Amino acid sequence: MKITVGGQIDKENVAELLKKYFPEGEITIKSDIDAAMDIKLGNADYYFGACNTGGGGALAMAIALIGADKCATLAMPGNVLSEEKIKEEVDKGKIAFGFTPQSAEEIIKTVASFLKIKS
Amino acid sequence: MERFLISGILSGFASVLANLGVAVFNDGLRPMVPEFLEGRIDRKALAATSFALSFGLVIGFGIPFSIGSAIILIHSILLGTDIIGVSTPRNKTGTVMAGIIGALYGIGLVFGLEKIVELFSKMPIDFLPSLAKVGAPIIVGFSVFPALVVGYQYGAKKGAFTLITALLVRQITTVFGKIPVSQNVNITLNSDGMALLISVIIMLVFAISDKETEKTDSNKMLVGIFSARVARVKKNIIPLSIMGGLIAAACSLRIVAGDPISLKLLTETLKGMAAGDIRNFEAGLVALARSIGFVPLVATTAITTGVYGPAGMTLVFAVGIFIKNPIIAFFVGTLILALEIFLLEFIAKTLDKFPGVKACGDHIRTSMTKVLEISLLVGGMIAANEMAGGNGLGFLFVSGFYLLNKTSKKPLVDMAVGPVATILFGIILNILYVLQLYVPVAVK
Repeated sequence: MKITVGGQIDKENVAELLKKYFPEGEITIKSDIDAAMDIKLGNADYYFGACNTGGGGALAMAIALIGADKCATLAMPGNVLSEEKIKEEVDKGKIAFGFTPQSAEEIIKTVASFLKIKS
Repeated sequence: MERFLISGILSGFASVLANLGVAVFNDGLRPMVPEFLEGRIDRKALAATSFALSFGLVIGFGIPFSIGSAIILIHSILLGTDIIGVSTPRNKTGTVMAGIIGALYGIGLVFGLEKIVELFSKMPIDFLPSLAKVGAPIIVGFSVFPALVVGYQYGAKKGAFTLITALLVRQITTVFGKIPVSQNVNITLNSDGMALLISVIIMLVFAISDKETEKTDSNKMLVGIFSARVARVKKNIIPLSIMGGLIAAACSLRIVAGDPISLKLLTETLKGMAAGDIRNFEAGLVALARSIGFVPLVATTAITTGVYGPAGMTLVFAVGIFIKNPIIAFFVGTLILALEIFLLEFIAKTLDKFPGVKACGDHIRTSMTKVLEISLLVGGMIAANEMAGGNGLGFLFVSGFYLLNKTSKKPLVDMAVGPVATILFGIILNILYVLQLYVPVAVK
Protein backbone atom coordinates (compact mmCIF):
# COMPACT_ATOMS: atom_id res chain seq x y z
CA MET A 1 0.00 0.00 0.00
CA LYS A 2 1.49 3.34 -1.08
CA ILE A 3 0.52 6.34 1.02
CA THR A 4 1.44 9.93 0.30
CA VAL A 5 1.40 12.72 2.89
CA GLY A 6 0.26 16.06 1.50
CA GLY A 7 -1.56 18.79 3.33
CA GLN A 8 -0.06 21.92 4.75
CA ILE A 9 1.07 21.44 8.31
CA ASP A 10 2.41 18.84 10.71
CA LYS A 11 3.51 16.54 7.87
CA GLU A 12 6.23 14.84 9.89
CA ASN A 13 3.80 14.00 12.64
CA VAL A 14 1.25 12.63 10.15
CA ALA A 15 3.95 10.48 8.53
CA GLU A 16 5.05 9.13 11.94
CA LEU A 17 1.48 8.18 12.78
CA LEU A 18 1.00 6.53 9.40
CA LYS A 19 4.13 4.46 9.97
CA LYS A 20 2.72 3.41 13.31
CA TYR A 21 -0.66 2.29 11.97
CA PHE A 22 0.43 1.13 8.50
CA PRO A 23 3.65 -0.69 9.37
CA GLU A 24 3.70 -2.37 5.93
CA GLY A 25 2.80 0.81 4.02
CA GLU A 26 5.20 2.78 1.84
CA ILE A 27 4.95 6.34 3.14
CA THR A 28 6.33 9.45 1.44
CA ILE A 29 6.06 13.11 2.42
CA LYS A 30 5.51 15.48 -0.50
CA SER A 31 4.36 19.00 -1.14
CA ASP A 32 0.58 19.09 -1.39
CA ILE A 33 0.63 19.47 -5.18
CA ASP A 34 3.04 16.61 -5.74
CA ALA A 35 1.13 14.42 -3.33
CA ALA A 36 -2.11 15.15 -5.16
CA MET A 37 -0.39 14.54 -8.50
CA ASP A 38 0.84 11.15 -7.25
CA ILE A 39 -2.66 10.09 -6.37
CA LYS A 40 -4.00 11.35 -9.71
CA LEU A 41 -1.37 9.47 -11.68
CA GLY A 42 -1.86 6.34 -9.60
CA ASN A 43 1.62 6.45 -8.02
CA ALA A 44 -0.04 6.37 -4.61
CA ASP A 45 -3.13 4.59 -3.27
CA TYR A 46 -4.07 6.95 -0.47
CA TYR A 47 -3.52 10.59 0.45
CA PHE A 48 -3.47 11.96 4.00
CA GLY A 49 -3.15 15.63 4.82
CA ALA A 50 -3.62 17.94 7.79
CA CYS A 51 -4.36 21.62 8.15
CA ASN A 52 -6.12 23.82 10.68
CA THR A 53 -9.51 23.43 9.01
CA GLY A 54 -9.17 19.80 7.98
CA GLY A 55 -10.33 20.77 4.51
CA GLY A 56 -8.37 23.83 3.42
CA GLY A 57 -4.69 23.25 2.86
CA ALA A 58 -5.22 19.61 3.75
CA LEU A 59 -7.31 18.74 0.73
CA ALA A 60 -7.44 21.78 -1.55
CA MET A 61 -5.01 20.40 -4.13
CA ALA A 62 -6.39 16.88 -3.91
CA ILE A 63 -9.94 18.13 -4.56
CA ALA A 64 -8.75 20.26 -7.47
CA LEU A 65 -6.88 17.39 -9.08
CA ILE A 66 -8.92 14.25 -8.36
CA GLY A 67 -12.34 15.75 -7.62
CA ALA A 68 -14.34 16.23 -4.45
CA ASP A 69 -16.01 12.83 -4.79
CA LYS A 70 -12.70 11.13 -3.97
CA CYS A 71 -11.88 13.31 -0.94
CA ALA A 72 -13.24 13.45 2.57
CA THR A 73 -12.67 15.78 5.50
CA LEU A 74 -12.75 13.50 8.55
CA ALA A 75 -12.04 16.03 11.27
CA MET A 76 -12.59 19.77 11.33
CA PRO A 77 -12.53 22.27 14.18
CA GLY A 78 -15.39 21.41 16.48
CA ASN A 79 -16.34 18.24 14.63
CA VAL A 80 -14.62 14.86 14.42
CA LEU A 81 -16.53 12.27 12.41
CA SER A 82 -17.71 9.17 14.24
CA GLU A 83 -16.23 5.76 13.40
CA GLU A 84 -19.40 4.79 11.49
CA LYS A 85 -19.19 7.96 9.40
CA ILE A 86 -15.50 7.36 8.66
CA LYS A 87 -16.33 3.79 7.61
CA GLU A 88 -19.00 5.16 5.28
CA GLU A 89 -16.47 7.48 3.63
CA VAL A 90 -13.95 4.66 3.19
CA ASP A 91 -16.64 2.36 1.79
CA LYS A 92 -17.65 5.08 -0.68
CA GLY A 93 -14.18 4.73 -2.15
CA LYS A 94 -12.67 7.94 -0.84
CA ILE A 95 -8.90 7.88 -1.20
CA ALA A 96 -7.83 11.32 0.06
CA PHE A 97 -8.40 12.24 3.69
CA GLY A 98 -8.06 15.59 5.42
CA PHE A 99 -8.19 16.33 9.15
CA THR A 100 -6.97 18.72 11.84
CA PRO A 101 -3.55 17.96 13.38
CA GLN A 102 -5.00 17.54 16.86
CA SER A 103 -7.24 14.70 15.68
CA ALA A 104 -4.59 13.11 13.43
CA GLU A 105 -3.88 10.05 15.58
CA GLU A 106 -7.51 9.15 16.15
CA ILE A 107 -8.39 9.56 12.47
CA ILE A 108 -5.40 7.65 11.11
CA LYS A 109 -5.99 4.83 13.57
CA THR A 110 -9.66 4.54 12.54
CA VAL A 111 -9.01 4.78 8.81
CA ALA A 112 -6.25 2.19 9.10
CA SER A 113 -8.58 -0.29 10.78
CA PHE A 114 -11.20 0.04 8.02
CA LEU A 115 -8.68 -0.03 5.17
CA LYS A 116 -7.20 -3.23 6.57
CA ILE A 117 -10.67 -4.83 6.60
CA LYS A 118 -11.20 -3.65 3.02
CA SER A 119 -7.95 -4.99 1.67
CA MET B 1 -18.53 55.60 12.77
CA GLU B 2 -15.81 54.92 10.21
CA ARG B 3 -15.32 51.46 11.76
CA PHE B 4 -18.93 50.56 10.93
CA LEU B 5 -18.66 52.01 7.44
CA ILE B 6 -15.40 50.32 6.45
CA SER B 7 -16.38 47.00 8.02
CA GLY B 8 -19.75 47.16 6.20
CA ILE B 9 -18.23 47.96 2.80
CA LEU B 10 -15.51 45.34 3.17
CA SER B 11 -17.93 42.65 4.29
CA GLY B 12 -20.56 43.49 1.68
CA PHE B 13 -18.06 43.50 -1.18
CA ALA B 14 -16.48 40.23 -0.04
CA SER B 15 -19.94 38.61 0.09
CA VAL B 16 -20.63 39.70 -3.49
CA LEU B 17 -17.30 38.23 -4.66
CA ALA B 18 -18.09 34.95 -2.87
CA ASN B 19 -21.59 34.93 -4.40
CA LEU B 20 -20.12 35.31 -7.90
CA GLY B 21 -17.52 32.64 -7.21
CA VAL B 22 -14.73 35.15 -7.83
CA ALA B 23 -13.07 34.87 -4.42
CA VAL B 24 -13.55 32.88 -1.24
CA PHE B 25 -11.39 33.18 1.87
CA ASN B 26 -11.41 29.60 3.13
CA ASP B 27 -8.73 27.67 1.22
CA GLY B 28 -10.81 24.53 1.59
CA LEU B 29 -13.87 26.06 -0.01
CA ARG B 30 -11.93 27.27 -3.05
CA PRO B 31 -11.75 23.87 -4.81
CA MET B 32 -15.47 23.32 -4.19
CA VAL B 33 -16.45 26.42 -6.19
CA PRO B 34 -15.47 25.02 -9.62
CA GLU B 35 -17.23 21.78 -8.66
CA PHE B 36 -20.37 23.91 -8.41
CA LEU B 37 -19.64 26.09 -11.45
CA GLU B 38 -19.17 22.99 -13.59
CA GLY B 39 -22.35 21.41 -12.29
CA ARG B 40 -20.97 18.49 -10.25
CA ILE B 41 -22.52 19.73 -7.00
CA ASP B 42 -25.55 21.99 -6.51
CA ARG B 43 -25.79 25.33 -4.69
CA LYS B 44 -27.21 23.66 -1.58
CA ALA B 45 -24.25 21.31 -1.29
CA LEU B 46 -21.83 24.22 -1.78
CA ALA B 47 -23.59 26.25 0.92
CA ALA B 48 -23.58 23.28 3.29
CA THR B 49 -19.87 22.71 2.66
CA SER B 50 -19.03 26.35 3.30
CA PHE B 51 -21.03 26.29 6.52
CA ALA B 52 -19.32 23.11 7.69
CA LEU B 53 -15.87 24.45 6.83
CA SER B 54 -16.22 27.97 8.14
CA PHE B 55 -18.81 28.29 10.88
CA GLY B 56 -16.78 26.47 13.52
CA LEU B 57 -13.80 28.68 12.73
CA VAL B 58 -15.81 31.90 13.03
CA ILE B 59 -17.10 30.88 16.46
CA GLY B 60 -14.04 29.05 17.73
CA PHE B 61 -11.21 31.05 16.16
CA GLY B 62 -12.27 34.41 14.73
CA ILE B 63 -14.52 35.70 17.48
CA PRO B 64 -12.49 34.65 20.58
CA PHE B 65 -9.44 36.51 19.28
CA SER B 66 -11.54 39.57 18.50
CA ILE B 67 -13.42 39.82 21.82
CA GLY B 68 -11.99 42.43 24.11
CA SER B 69 -9.42 43.70 21.61
CA ALA B 70 -10.21 46.74 19.50
CA ILE B 71 -9.05 44.92 16.35
CA ILE B 72 -11.13 42.27 14.60
CA LEU B 73 -9.45 39.10 13.38
CA ILE B 74 -10.18 39.01 9.63
CA HIS B 75 -11.38 35.40 9.83
CA SER B 76 -14.46 36.60 11.73
CA ILE B 77 -15.47 38.71 8.74
CA LEU B 78 -14.27 36.81 5.68
CA LEU B 79 -15.32 33.31 6.74
CA GLY B 80 -18.77 34.73 7.43
CA THR B 81 -18.89 36.38 4.01
CA ASP B 82 -17.96 33.04 2.39
CA ILE B 83 -21.06 31.50 3.96
CA ILE B 84 -23.28 34.48 3.07
CA GLY B 85 -22.03 34.62 -0.51
CA VAL B 86 -22.50 30.97 -1.40
CA SER B 87 -25.77 30.59 0.53
CA THR B 88 -27.47 33.30 -1.54
CA PRO B 89 -28.73 32.30 -5.00
CA ARG B 90 -26.51 32.71 -8.05
CA ASN B 91 -28.49 35.36 -9.90
CA LYS B 92 -28.81 39.16 -9.91
CA THR B 93 -31.20 39.20 -6.94
CA GLY B 94 -28.96 36.78 -5.05
CA THR B 95 -25.88 38.91 -5.65
CA VAL B 96 -27.64 42.04 -4.38
CA MET B 97 -28.91 40.06 -1.38
CA ALA B 98 -25.37 38.87 -0.65
CA GLY B 99 -24.11 42.45 -0.72
CA ILE B 100 -26.79 43.70 1.67
CA ILE B 101 -26.63 40.78 4.11
CA GLY B 102 -22.84 40.92 3.97
CA ALA B 103 -22.75 44.64 4.78
CA LEU B 104 -25.17 44.13 7.68
CA TYR B 105 -23.00 41.27 8.92
CA GLY B 106 -19.89 43.45 8.91
CA ILE B 107 -21.66 46.27 10.75
CA GLY B 108 -23.30 43.81 13.15
CA LEU B 109 -19.96 42.23 13.96
CA VAL B 110 -18.38 45.55 15.00
CA PHE B 111 -21.53 46.44 16.95
CA GLY B 112 -21.82 43.01 18.59
CA LEU B 113 -18.19 42.92 19.70
CA GLU B 114 -18.57 46.37 21.25
CA LYS B 115 -21.78 45.29 23.00
CA ILE B 116 -20.15 42.16 24.41
CA VAL B 117 -17.37 44.26 25.88
CA GLU B 118 -19.97 46.61 27.39
CA LEU B 119 -21.88 43.67 28.83
CA PHE B 120 -18.73 42.22 30.38
CA SER B 121 -17.79 45.54 31.95
CA LYS B 122 -21.25 45.78 33.58
CA MET B 123 -20.79 42.48 35.40
CA PRO B 124 -20.17 42.61 39.15
CA ILE B 125 -16.67 41.30 38.63
CA ASP B 126 -15.08 43.12 35.68
CA PHE B 127 -12.70 40.63 34.13
CA LEU B 128 -11.82 42.60 30.97
CA PRO B 129 -8.57 44.06 32.29
CA SER B 130 -7.39 40.54 33.11
CA LEU B 131 -8.62 39.20 29.77
CA ALA B 132 -6.11 41.41 27.99
CA LYS B 133 -3.34 39.44 29.71
CA VAL B 134 -4.10 36.39 27.55
CA GLY B 135 -1.98 37.98 24.85
CA ALA B 136 0.94 38.87 27.12
CA PRO B 137 3.22 35.85 26.42
CA ILE B 138 2.64 35.90 22.64
CA ILE B 139 3.90 39.47 22.36
CA VAL B 140 7.44 38.35 23.13
CA GLY B 141 7.14 34.60 22.62
CA PHE B 142 6.24 34.73 18.95
CA SER B 143 9.87 35.61 18.08
CA VAL B 144 10.78 31.94 18.43
CA PHE B 145 8.85 30.92 15.31
CA PRO B 146 11.64 31.28 12.69
CA ALA B 147 13.93 29.11 14.82
CA LEU B 148 11.15 26.55 15.07
CA VAL B 149 10.71 26.58 11.28
CA VAL B 150 14.43 25.90 10.82
CA GLY B 151 14.15 23.15 13.44
CA TYR B 152 11.28 21.46 11.63
CA GLN B 153 12.92 21.74 8.25
CA TYR B 154 16.59 21.04 8.99
CA GLY B 155 16.67 19.48 12.45
CA ALA B 156 16.97 20.66 16.03
CA LYS B 157 20.67 21.58 15.79
CA LYS B 158 20.16 24.23 13.13
CA GLY B 159 17.02 25.35 14.92
CA ALA B 160 18.98 25.85 18.14
CA PHE B 161 21.68 27.70 16.19
CA THR B 162 19.03 30.12 14.89
CA LEU B 163 17.58 30.66 18.34
CA ILE B 164 20.96 31.24 19.99
CA THR B 165 22.01 33.66 17.23
CA ALA B 166 18.78 35.59 17.73
CA LEU B 167 19.30 35.74 21.50
CA LEU B 168 22.90 36.91 21.04
CA VAL B 169 21.81 39.61 18.60
CA ARG B 170 19.14 40.68 21.07
CA GLN B 171 21.68 41.09 23.87
CA ILE B 172 24.31 42.74 21.68
CA THR B 173 21.83 45.34 20.44
CA THR B 174 20.60 45.91 23.99
CA VAL B 175 24.10 46.71 25.19
CA PHE B 176 25.70 48.27 22.11
CA GLY B 177 22.59 49.33 20.18
CA LYS B 178 23.13 53.06 20.55
CA ILE B 179 24.78 54.43 17.47
CA PRO B 180 26.04 57.97 17.94
CA VAL B 181 25.31 60.04 14.85
CA SER B 182 26.49 63.38 16.17
CA GLN B 183 26.71 64.97 19.58
CA ASN B 184 23.53 64.38 21.62
CA VAL B 185 21.91 62.36 18.80
CA ASN B 186 21.77 58.60 19.03
CA ILE B 187 20.01 56.06 16.87
CA THR B 188 18.80 53.27 19.11
CA LEU B 189 18.36 49.89 17.47
CA ASN B 190 15.48 47.92 18.93
CA SER B 191 16.69 44.61 20.31
CA ASP B 192 13.48 42.59 19.91
CA GLY B 193 12.98 43.82 16.37
CA MET B 194 16.59 43.06 15.42
CA ALA B 195 16.43 39.56 16.93
CA LEU B 196 13.31 38.79 14.93
CA LEU B 197 14.77 40.24 11.75
CA ILE B 198 17.96 38.17 12.07
CA SER B 199 16.09 34.92 12.69
CA VAL B 200 13.74 35.57 9.76
CA ILE B 201 16.77 36.22 7.54
CA ILE B 202 18.47 33.00 8.69
CA MET B 203 15.24 31.10 8.02
CA LEU B 204 15.02 32.51 4.49
CA VAL B 205 18.68 31.86 3.71
CA PHE B 206 18.19 28.22 4.71
CA ALA B 207 15.03 27.97 2.63
CA ILE B 208 16.41 29.60 -0.52
CA SER B 209 19.68 27.65 -0.47
CA ASP B 210 17.87 24.35 0.19
CA LYS B 211 19.26 21.64 -2.07
CA GLU B 212 17.72 18.72 -0.18
CA THR B 213 14.07 19.08 -1.12
CA GLU B 214 13.28 17.48 -4.46
CA LYS B 215 12.70 19.89 -7.35
CA THR B 216 9.63 19.26 -9.46
CA ASP B 217 7.90 20.96 -12.34
CA SER B 218 4.51 20.50 -10.72
CA ASN B 219 3.47 24.16 -10.77
CA LYS B 220 4.49 24.51 -14.40
CA MET B 221 2.38 21.46 -15.23
CA LEU B 222 -0.56 22.88 -13.29
CA VAL B 223 -0.40 26.17 -15.19
CA GLY B 224 -0.56 24.15 -18.40
CA ILE B 225 -3.41 21.88 -17.32
CA PHE B 226 -5.56 24.63 -15.85
CA SER B 227 -4.96 27.49 -18.30
CA ALA B 228 -8.71 28.19 -18.59
CA ARG B 229 -8.96 28.60 -14.82
CA VAL B 230 -5.96 30.91 -14.70
CA ALA B 231 -7.67 33.02 -17.33
CA ARG B 232 -10.78 33.21 -15.14
CA VAL B 233 -8.77 34.67 -12.24
CA LYS B 234 -7.18 37.23 -14.56
CA LYS B 235 -10.56 38.24 -15.94
CA ASN B 236 -11.61 39.32 -12.44
CA ILE B 237 -8.48 41.34 -11.71
CA ILE B 238 -10.32 44.66 -11.16
CA PRO B 239 -12.86 43.62 -8.46
CA LEU B 240 -10.20 41.47 -6.77
CA SER B 241 -7.74 44.38 -6.64
CA ILE B 242 -10.39 46.65 -5.09
CA MET B 243 -11.07 43.95 -2.47
CA GLY B 244 -7.35 43.80 -1.66
CA GLY B 245 -7.26 47.59 -1.35
CA LEU B 246 -10.23 47.59 1.03
CA ILE B 247 -8.55 45.05 3.29
CA ALA B 248 -5.28 47.03 3.29
CA ALA B 249 -7.22 50.20 4.18
CA ALA B 250 -9.15 48.46 6.98
CA CYS B 251 -5.88 47.09 8.32
CA SER B 252 -4.20 50.52 8.19
CA LEU B 253 -7.10 51.92 10.24
CA ARG B 254 -6.47 49.07 12.71
CA ILE B 255 -10.00 47.74 12.21
CA VAL B 256 -8.80 44.28 11.16
CA ALA B 257 -5.67 42.14 11.44
CA GLY B 258 -4.75 39.10 9.38
CA ASP B 259 -3.55 36.73 12.08
CA PRO B 260 -3.69 36.43 15.88
CA ILE B 261 0.00 37.24 16.41
CA SER B 262 0.03 40.55 14.53
CA LEU B 263 -3.37 41.33 16.07
CA LYS B 264 -1.96 41.12 19.57
CA LEU B 265 1.11 43.13 18.58
CA LEU B 266 -1.01 45.83 16.94
CA THR B 267 -3.28 45.97 19.99
CA GLU B 268 -0.18 46.96 21.96
CA THR B 269 0.41 49.91 19.62
CA LEU B 270 -3.12 51.21 20.26
CA LYS B 271 -2.46 51.71 23.93
CA GLY B 272 -0.18 54.61 23.09
CA MET B 273 2.81 52.83 24.54
CA ALA B 274 6.33 54.03 23.91
CA ALA B 275 7.08 50.72 22.19
CA GLY B 276 4.36 51.34 19.61
CA ASP B 277 6.62 51.72 16.57
CA ILE B 278 8.61 48.63 17.47
CA ARG B 279 5.49 46.50 17.92
CA ASN B 280 4.26 47.84 14.62
CA PHE B 281 7.47 46.82 12.88
CA GLU B 282 7.28 43.38 14.47
CA ALA B 283 3.64 42.97 13.46
CA GLY B 284 4.56 43.89 9.89
CA LEU B 285 7.44 41.43 9.85
CA VAL B 286 5.19 38.66 11.21
CA ALA B 287 2.58 39.43 8.56
CA LEU B 288 5.25 39.29 5.84
CA ALA B 289 6.71 36.03 7.14
CA ARG B 290 3.26 34.53 7.31
CA SER B 291 2.70 35.49 3.69
CA ILE B 292 5.54 33.13 2.72
CA GLY B 293 3.23 30.41 3.97
CA PHE B 294 0.34 31.66 1.89
CA VAL B 295 1.93 32.64 -1.42
CA PRO B 296 2.32 28.99 -2.55
CA LEU B 297 -1.05 27.93 -1.16
CA VAL B 298 -3.04 30.77 -2.69
CA ALA B 299 -1.15 30.64 -5.99
CA THR B 300 -1.67 26.91 -6.47
CA THR B 301 -5.31 26.85 -5.36
CA ALA B 302 -6.04 29.87 -7.58
CA ILE B 303 -4.44 28.20 -10.61
CA THR B 304 -6.23 24.89 -10.09
CA THR B 305 -9.65 26.37 -9.24
CA GLY B 306 -9.95 29.71 -11.05
CA VAL B 307 -11.05 31.23 -7.73
CA TYR B 308 -8.92 33.71 -5.79
CA GLY B 309 -8.92 34.77 -2.14
CA PRO B 310 -10.27 38.17 -1.04
CA ALA B 311 -7.02 38.88 0.78
CA GLY B 312 -4.97 37.26 -2.00
CA MET B 313 -1.56 36.06 -0.85
CA THR B 314 -2.10 37.98 2.42
CA LEU B 315 0.54 40.59 1.51
CA VAL B 316 -2.15 43.28 1.78
CA PHE B 317 -2.08 42.90 5.58
CA ALA B 318 1.58 43.87 5.67
CA VAL B 319 0.74 46.87 3.45
CA GLY B 320 -1.92 47.98 5.92
CA ILE B 321 0.39 47.55 8.90
CA PHE B 322 3.29 49.53 7.42
CA ILE B 323 1.24 52.28 5.74
CA LYS B 324 -0.83 54.14 8.30
CA ASN B 325 -2.67 56.39 5.85
CA PRO B 326 -5.77 54.42 4.79
CA ILE B 327 -6.06 56.10 1.38
CA ILE B 328 -2.45 55.37 0.42
CA ALA B 329 -2.83 51.87 1.90
CA PHE B 330 -5.90 51.33 -0.30
CA PHE B 331 -4.01 52.21 -3.49
CA VAL B 332 -0.90 50.22 -2.58
CA GLY B 333 -3.08 47.27 -1.54
CA THR B 334 -4.94 47.43 -4.86
CA LEU B 335 -1.66 47.52 -6.74
CA ILE B 336 -0.18 44.60 -4.78
CA LEU B 337 -3.19 42.37 -5.41
CA ALA B 338 -3.22 43.30 -9.10
CA LEU B 339 0.47 42.39 -9.33
CA GLU B 340 -0.13 39.04 -7.60
CA ILE B 341 -2.73 38.13 -10.21
CA PHE B 342 -0.74 39.59 -13.09
CA LEU B 343 2.31 37.55 -12.09
CA LEU B 344 0.38 34.44 -11.05
CA GLU B 345 2.00 31.98 -13.49
CA PHE B 346 5.41 33.54 -13.00
CA ILE B 347 5.16 33.20 -9.20
CA ALA B 348 4.05 29.58 -9.50
CA LYS B 349 6.90 28.65 -11.86
CA THR B 350 9.45 30.46 -9.69
CA LEU B 351 8.27 28.41 -6.70
CA ASP B 352 9.26 25.28 -8.65
CA LYS B 353 12.86 26.53 -8.62
CA PHE B 354 12.88 27.00 -4.84
CA PRO B 355 11.25 23.90 -3.34
CA GLY B 356 12.74 24.83 0.03
CA VAL B 357 10.66 28.00 0.12
CA LYS B 358 7.43 26.12 -0.39
CA ALA B 359 8.35 23.61 2.32
CA CYS B 360 9.36 26.57 4.49
CA GLY B 361 5.89 28.04 3.95
CA ASP B 362 4.26 24.88 5.26
CA HIS B 363 6.53 24.92 8.31
CA ILE B 364 5.86 28.61 9.00
CA ARG B 365 2.18 27.87 9.34
CA THR B 366 2.84 24.86 11.58
CA SER B 367 5.23 26.88 13.76
CA MET B 368 2.93 29.86 14.17
CA THR B 369 0.16 27.50 15.22
CA LYS B 370 2.38 25.81 17.79
CA VAL B 371 3.64 29.13 19.18
CA LEU B 372 0.07 30.40 19.47
CA GLU B 373 -1.07 27.22 21.18
CA ILE B 374 1.50 27.36 23.95
CA SER B 375 1.58 31.14 24.42
CA LEU B 376 -2.18 31.54 24.56
CA LEU B 377 -2.55 28.57 26.89
CA VAL B 378 -0.04 30.07 29.32
CA GLY B 379 -1.54 33.53 28.79
CA GLY B 380 -5.01 32.15 29.49
CA MET B 381 -3.82 30.55 32.71
CA ILE B 382 -2.16 33.76 33.89
CA ALA B 383 -5.21 35.86 32.99
CA ALA B 384 -7.73 33.49 34.60
CA ASN B 385 -5.63 33.21 37.73
CA GLU B 386 -5.47 36.99 38.01
CA MET B 387 -9.26 37.25 37.62
CA ALA B 388 -9.88 35.14 40.68
CA GLY B 389 -7.44 37.14 42.79
CA GLY B 390 -4.60 34.69 42.29
CA ASN B 391 -6.15 31.86 44.29
CA GLY B 392 -5.24 29.19 41.75
CA LEU B 393 -8.78 28.48 40.57
CA GLY B 394 -7.94 29.94 37.16
CA PHE B 395 -4.97 27.59 36.69
CA LEU B 396 -7.18 24.64 37.47
CA PHE B 397 -9.97 25.70 35.14
CA VAL B 398 -7.92 26.60 32.06
CA SER B 399 -5.62 23.58 32.21
CA GLY B 400 -8.60 21.32 32.84
CA PHE B 401 -10.46 22.85 29.91
CA TYR B 402 -7.46 22.43 27.60
CA LEU B 403 -6.91 18.78 28.46
CA LEU B 404 -10.60 17.83 28.43
CA ASN B 405 -11.02 19.57 25.07
CA LYS B 406 -8.56 17.06 23.63
CA THR B 407 -10.86 14.19 24.61
CA SER B 408 -13.96 15.87 23.15
CA LYS B 409 -15.71 14.62 20.03
CA LYS B 410 -16.19 18.24 19.03
CA PRO B 411 -12.94 19.85 20.12
CA LEU B 412 -12.03 23.51 19.76
CA VAL B 413 -8.87 24.33 17.83
CA ASP B 414 -6.05 24.11 20.40
CA MET B 415 -5.04 27.70 19.61
CA ALA B 416 -8.43 29.02 20.66
CA VAL B 417 -8.61 27.19 23.99
CA GLY B 418 -6.70 29.88 25.90
CA PRO B 419 -8.95 32.81 24.95
CA VAL B 420 -12.20 30.81 25.05
CA ALA B 421 -11.49 29.21 28.43
CA THR B 422 -10.50 32.57 29.91
CA ILE B 423 -13.70 34.29 28.75
CA LEU B 424 -15.75 31.36 30.06
CA PHE B 425 -13.94 31.49 33.37
CA GLY B 426 -14.73 35.20 33.73
CA ILE B 427 -18.43 34.47 33.21
CA ILE B 428 -18.37 31.48 35.58
CA LEU B 429 -16.69 33.63 38.20
CA ASN B 430 -19.55 36.12 38.01
CA ILE B 431 -22.11 33.31 38.35
CA LEU B 432 -20.27 31.99 41.40
CA TYR B 433 -20.25 35.50 42.81
CA VAL B 434 -24.02 35.80 42.40
CA LEU B 435 -24.42 32.40 44.10
CA GLN B 436 -22.14 33.69 46.84
CA LEU B 437 -19.71 30.86 46.20
CA TYR B 438 -16.94 33.26 45.35
CA VAL B 439 -15.95 36.25 47.41
CA PRO B 440 -13.59 38.60 45.62
CA VAL B 441 -10.81 40.35 47.46
CA ALA B 442 -12.08 43.74 46.40
CA VAL B 443 -15.49 44.41 44.86
CA LYS B 444 -16.07 47.37 42.55
